[in-house]
Amino acid sequence: MADNGKRDIIICEDVKKWFGDFQALRGISTRVYEQEVVVIIGPSGSGKSTWIRCINRLEVHQEGRIIVDGIELTSDVRNIEQIRSEVGMVFQQFNLFPHLTVMQNITLAQTWVRKRTKAEAEEKAMALLERVGIPEQAHKFPGQLSGGQQQRVAIARSLAMDPKIMLFDEPTSALDPEMIKEVLDVMKELAQSGMTMLVVTHEMGFAREVADRVIFMDQGQIVEEGTPEHFFTNPQHDRTKLFLSQIL
Amino acid sequence: MTQSRIDATQTRPPLWRNVTFLKWATQIGVLVGLVVLAWILISTALRNLEAQGLSLDWDFLTDPVGIRLGEGIFTQPASGLEAFATAIVNMLRVTASGIIAATILGVLVGISRLSSNWLLSRSATAFVETIRNIPLLIQIVFWFFLMTLFFPTLEVDASGPAPGWLIVSRKGVSIPWLFPTEVFWQWFVFVAGGAWAARRVYRRRIELLEETGRETHPGRWALGTFVLIAGLGWFAHPIAGALGWLFALVAAVIAAIPDFAFQLLFAAVSIWLGARWIRRFLDSRRTPAGLARLTDDDYFRMGLAGVLGLAGAAVFVAIPQITSLITDVAHFVFAFLDQKFDFLRTGVPLRLGRPEVVVPGRFPQIGDTGMTMTPNFFGLWVGVTLYTAAFIAEIVRGGILAVPKGQTEAGMALGLKRSQVLRMIILPQAFRIILPPMGNQYLNLAKNTSLGIAIAYAELVQVGQTLFNQTGDTIQVFLIWMAFYLTVSLVLSSIVNWYNRRVKLVER
Repeated sequence: MADNGKRDIIICEDVKKWFGDFQALRGISTRVYEQEVVVIIGPSGSGKSTWIRCINRLEVHQEGRIIVDGIELTSDVRNIEQIRSEVGMVFQQFNLFPHLTVMQNITLAQTWVRKRTKAEAEEKAMALLERVGIPEQAHKFPGQLSGGQQQRVAIARSLAMDPKIMLFDEPTSALDPEMIKEVLDVMKELAQSGMTMLVVTHEMGFAREVADRVIFMDQGQIVEEGTPEHFFTNPQHDRTKLFLSQIL
Repeated sequence: MTQSRIDATQTRPPLWRNVTFLKWATQIGVLVGLVVLAWILISTALRNLEAQGLSLDWDFLTDPVGIRLGEGIFTQPASGLEAFATAIVNMLRVTASGIIAATILGVLVGISRLSSNWLLSRSATAFVETIRNIPLLIQIVFWFFLMTLFFPTLEVDASGPAPGWLIVSRKGVSIPWLFPTEVFWQWFVFVAGGAWAARRVYRRRIELLEETGRETHPGRWALGTFVLIAGLGWFAHPIAGALGWLFALVAAVIAAIPDFAFQLLFAAVSIWLGARWIRRFLDSRRTPAGLARLTDDDYFRMGLAGVLGLAGAAVFVAIPQITSLITDVAHFVFAFLDQKFDFLRTGVPLRLGRPEVVVPGRFPQIGDTGMTMTPNFFGLWVGVTLYTAAFIAEIVRGGILAVPKGQTEAGMALGLKRSQVLRMIILPQAFRIILPPMGNQYLNLAKNTSLGIAIAYAELVQVGQTLFNQTGDTIQVFLIWMAFYLTVSLVLSSIVNWYNRRVKLVER
């Protein structure tokens, strides 16, 4: 239980990970409560992406424990599948399926994983496309959309699975400046609707405005964490101050 | 000052600096150059042939020939035409079966090379590296000798020849086979109709599945429909014999209409095709706002299409032989089909043939009652199949690797199983990358069958060479060779291109 009485939905205990000889995560321990919006920042190579990719097992952690919604991530395939269907993920490169239409992108996993009928899945897809503001693109292919539109489809595709948690891995880093806003707006709306979100980003404005907590990582460790006010106005750690002075 | 500068841009440049003129001049220049070059080459060749007393006549196609072919539809052809027909069928048999086998083997080996199973992936690598680094000719000869030297000798026991189920010998491998009988084509109408109906039923069940979400077993329904109709046809096929009347009618109509009517018809079709091409071209250049600006190239292409259409019409009118050739072939085809159908002609559509050993002279041979794979076919088929499979394996491996890793991750993150990700996300995308180079391999396989001459497989090159050794009509045979391989290659590549366009990813 967190201080505010909300349930912990993600628990990480001393998570470690190596790529060969290189240690990417040097013991991450933190808890995320339900409906919390956590923004993770840090220099490149600090292990931000690796950590959130561990949470839905796209990367395998070698030591420590990760418990998502009461289910521990082990090598048990059933646990992995169960967690993946509860956790949505949005990638830097969108990763839409280019051979399927926008509609098919959103309905594919609904029909195969959630076993919905085509009509149900399409109804859900249209509702989500309305929500992200591009219902008119439903029958186009991803290659015909702009970057910002593609990322919004990717968000809709994840939401279609009714996830309890959404992971965002630098969702705006591959976008032109004028498209960043349209994606951030969708994410803000999502945060206000009460979704639990872990967001790796370089958008400090978004962190300041939306985050409940900001985590600063460097060299595979959590260096400092706190509320946005604390973080941007009164950082404690030298490394944090240096990083903030370089990007702000 | 300003006024004079505007004037300067509006005056037309001299002809030698005018882009429009230069483009047209180049296009027409190239066209004229090509025509002149072709004319010079052909007329020189004809003049020299005449000077050496050689003629370009095609009598050898219809004259009797005294050659025997190792296998095929006519092993003792009555004419050059029959010899070529046999050779072409033999070549197509190797090509078609080789393409199917090489594709299956190549895809399996290609996926195996990416397997995390160490033994499997290393075996696949060893296969690819061995096969593709040995010249195909050597491999073909190797497989041929493998059968002719190391398979058991063909023997008959004292009780004399008797039909068996499987013969494995140096003279070939023979298995039982179902051969079509004279009523096969009547039954085939039902088989084709059943396949069509099964397709319809399959789609209908899929629609129902999507509408209601209930399991509707589309595969089982389709199979059931096919088996039902084909099975019904097994007994009801004499009814389909009535189609013979239709074919006879068409043949009679073709024979009854005078040739000059067909000449005019074909000329009209030629002009219509040219006009249609131009109309479609204009449509494709049209923007929602109206007709887009056409470039000089576009005018040239439309002009060329128009000229070709008119030229085609002129050729049909000026040279009646072309029209009579086409109508003769059409008449032959329908008359041929007419023979295959006869109302209420009964019988069993397929007949089981079991392999047997015969002793026509001193030595035993495999009879023609079973389906026999000769050492010649075996050598060529195994050779081209393995060789092409090795290259296809590399193409498949490259195609799968070329699909970005993010696609797999996105699929997994949505909760799809690994096999579902492979089937619905990776393979459909890899397939689009694989298709064009795969087409190249099919073309190579088709052309490589000409190496069959090394082991005396009766394909086009071997038969053609035998023919011109006898008749001396070298140039004609070379022309037939080139025309045939060109035709096969163009057909194959247009199939691949058509399919490639159909499955292409839609982008902006």
